[in-house]
Amino acid sequence: MANELRRDVAILAIASVCGIASGLFGIGGGVLLVPLMALVLGSGQHRAQGTSLIALIPPTGILALIAYAKGGYVSWRTGLLLIPGIFVGGILGGNLAKHIQPHAMRRIFAGIMFVLGAWQAYGAWRH
Amino acid sequence: MILFILLLGLFAGVLVGLLGIGGGVVLVPALVYFLRMDQHLAQGTSLFILLPPIGLGALREYWKEGYVDLRAGILCAIGMLAGAYGGSLLAMPIPSQHLKGFFGCFLMLAAILLWRKSEIEETNTARSEANSRG
Repeated sequence: MANELRRDVAILAIASVCGIASGLFGIGGGVLLVPLMALVLGSGQHRAQGTSLIALIPPTGILALIAYAKGGYVSWRTGLLLIPGIFVGGILGGNLAKHIQPHAMRRIFAGIMFVLGAWQAYGAWRH
Repeated sequence: MILFILLLGLFAGVLVGLLGIGGGVVLVPALVYFLRMDQHLAQGTSLFILLPPIGLGALREYWKEGYVDLRAGILCAIGMLAGAYGGSLLAMPIPSQHLKGFFGCFLMLAAILLWRKSEIEETNTARSEANSRG
């Protein structure tokens, strides 16, 4: 019982950190939630990803979106155009994942993400 | 331009399904570099895109296999709802240039975590294989 409570508190703490990143950077938070669930809670790969997906089904970003919309920081038209592609692409990617090595893909993606991040930080602060 | 945006969505979606991660981390830089959006505008638009349950198709597959921890998922949703609101309040007063830089630092951190997760998976797989043999 005490262990379960401790686990729940840990989950809430992880989720809050992911949520802050979500609102601060306009992302879903899954990119942080999946590795943190594996590192902190020891969840398996599929379980962490499935749990991250269910956490992203309710509109968790709605309060953050309202704050951005109030500031005039939402391009509704572009957003609407991107949604169908992401939905279809998600199904394609899910099927593709069955045929290729997801572990290697994740590493390649991590590498690309690191370079992209370094490039963005450099671009922002070089002056 | 419309076709380009549709294709960009498709590309981001493939990564979402393939890696089980959110699309925002790809969408925000893409909106900044390809559509020349300001950092705040890209982030707000990304939050809008993530509002509908775009991962529902993928979740169905995980659910069928029993790979969903419902209790943890609900707790995560509650924590993220509150956290995201706090995060957005933090983001508003930050100048776009610095926000872009912080986003870059965040990407590097997430990349390291994602890489380390791959390592843990390797050990876990090896362990479970050893267990099933033993």
